[in-house]
Amino acid sequence: MSVALPDWLDPSPWLGLLQQAGRAAVRQAAAADSPGIREFAVLLSPAAAGELETMAQRAQALTRRHFGRTIALYAPLYVSNYCPSGCSYCGFASDRWIRRHKMTPAELEAETGALKKMGLEEILLLTGDRVATADYGYVRDSVAYLASRFHNVAAEVFAMSEEEYGGLAAAGCTSITMYQETYDRDRYERLHGWGPKRDYTWRLDAPARALANGIRVAGVGALLGLSEPLPEMLCLFRHATYLRRRFWKSGIAISFPRIRPQSGGYAAEFPVSERLLAQIICAFRICLPDVPLVLSTRESARFRDGIAGVGISKMSVASKTSVGGYSDAVVRSPGQFEIEDQRGVESFCAMLAAKGLQPVFKNWDAVYREPAA
Amino acid sequence: MNDGLRLGDRVFASRLLLGTGKFSSTPAMLRAVRASGAELVTLALRRFNRERSEDDIYGPLSTLEGITLVPNTSGAMNANEAVRAALLGRELSGSPFVKLEIHPNPHHLLPDPIETYEAAKALVAEGFFVLPYIAADPVLAKRLEEIGCAAVMPLGAAIGSGQGLTTLSMLKLILRDAGVPVIVDAGLRAPSEAAATMEMGGDAVLINSAIAAAENPELMAEAFGAAVRAGRQAWRAGLMPKSELAVATSPLTAFLGEPVL
Repeated sequence: MSVALPDWLDPSPWLGLLQQAGRAAVRQAAAADSPGIREFAVLLSPAAAGELETMAQRAQALTRRHFGRTIALYAPLYVSNYCPSGCSYCGFASDRWIRRHKMTPAELEAETGALKKMGLEEILLLTGDRVATADYGYVRDSVAYLASRFHNVAAEVFAMSEEEYGGLAAAGCTSITMYQETYDRDRYERLHGWGPKRDYTWRLDAPARALANGIRVAGVGALLGLSEPLPEMLCLFRHATYLRRRFWKSGIAISFPRIRPQSGGYAAEFPVSERLLAQIICAFRICLPDVPLVLSTRESARFRDGIAGVGISKMSVASKTSVGGYSDAVVRSPGQFEIEDQRGVESFCAMLAAKGLQPVFKNWDAVYREPAA
Repeated sequence: MNDGLRLGDRVFASRLLLGTGKFSSTPAMLRAVRASGAELVTLALRRFNRERSEDDIYGPLSTLEGITLVPNTSGAMNANEAVRAALLGRELSGSPFVKLEIHPNPHHLLPDPIETYEAAKALVAEGFFVLPYIAADPVLAKRLEEIGCAAVMPLGAAIGSGQGLTTLSMLKLILRDAGVPVIVDAGLRAPSEAAATMEMGGDAVLINSAIAAAENPELMAEAFGAAVRAGRQAWRAGLMPKSELAVATSPLTAFLGEPVL
């Protein structure tokens, strides 16, 4: 990473550990009492790949202790795929010839009805980057509507100002998800050709702006496949622990999105194998035992079944990444990326039950929202 | 009932309270509740689900005989949120009890003493039997007693940590001075720790993770039930003195001369 990162994010002091660590150090790190960034780096190292089973056992024990034998469920809801930005890897980028759509209030109601029938109570609203067609006001009003129907509403949308995050929280948004995509500034610039998303720092500081303005939880992540994965994960770890230290009343959550096929045909330049993904997840669980770790339906059913409860504590289910994907009343558009695990709620929950895990649909209550004045 | 646990206007035979989160399924949770012999069971308001019965833990628990439900305010970050949650929990469950928990940090889940105190005042005024979850702070415990809480629930260690009675010396001070029941909540891992809590005069313990995350939750629930009963009996029986007094080779009182008889 040639362009300097802020001190609180810079992974360089620990890069050496990635190469130097041996298996004895890995076993020590996996069993450490209060693991920190050093142990995390050791657990990410190639040497740790040989101790993956040890790590997985430890990760499962910690997940069970902190989250029990449960998996929290949520579903993404894409409300608009208009986008002014040019992200090389994204199916919604503005140079893709796809059908664009923004949900009308009636369509949003239809989608909501379909999601309610599926029993979901945590909904993650998504849009493209900031655009006049689907701007802050549209997102805020959509959140307010969803908050009138669901107990827990989260948003994965464009980076906002402090004031906007305050308005979003007041509208009923509990948490935001903001992936930095890549922490490597050079690569970030190359991958984000145009549009508002080009501003690395504005995006990097977005979770902090959200947490400072009433959003309870910030989800962070890096899109695996865009850059060297191990330095990326060190940055992600530092980003998460920085937020936790700075906002003691806030929650953090970490997601592990991996590049999937999407329209435009971007292929991951730094492909991450399932084994490495599992190692990364276990390393995060061992070093951040009380942080929710999230996995989406980007991953295969086989991988999801295997990693559920072994590090991962929260999963999306029966997802559609297209606008209007849940209800037939809406004009459908292509998805942002391909869903690998296409199972419905019932069959996914049956799998969890067979593994001795309880799906949790409702883990929050609307009563915790500030009532409108 | 000779040795009941008195909380509010009720008396309970069992001194083990159970939390109901973290179980692999609702039937597994119900089996653990039954096996434990618990009569007081806490449940998070956020896990009430009126719209999807498979996801609802209130409905199945409310059908159990001999169980008093104690809704908890887990998820509340401040006093206002906790009071709203408690009022809603009472509407939904009809229970006069509330386990007041306010944890602004969703990771370590340690309770906020200031918000807890404020919420406790408001909820006592609303007529609740308030059971506040607190750090093992002897001063806060007395303050909460003074404003009318029905019990105090100091922690043994952080929720779900399984570290045992890390707050032992503070718990002993709380127990020595308390005028309301002291229910040690959170952090316990082994039945022996529950027994130790009872042996030193704890009025009750609350267990969740140690049972839900055990290999066999039902069997562990039974073990905790037995441990709590054994510890309570030991406390009533009175432990024999432990310390053996040392006899020094150079007496410290020789300067006083021989006693005059």
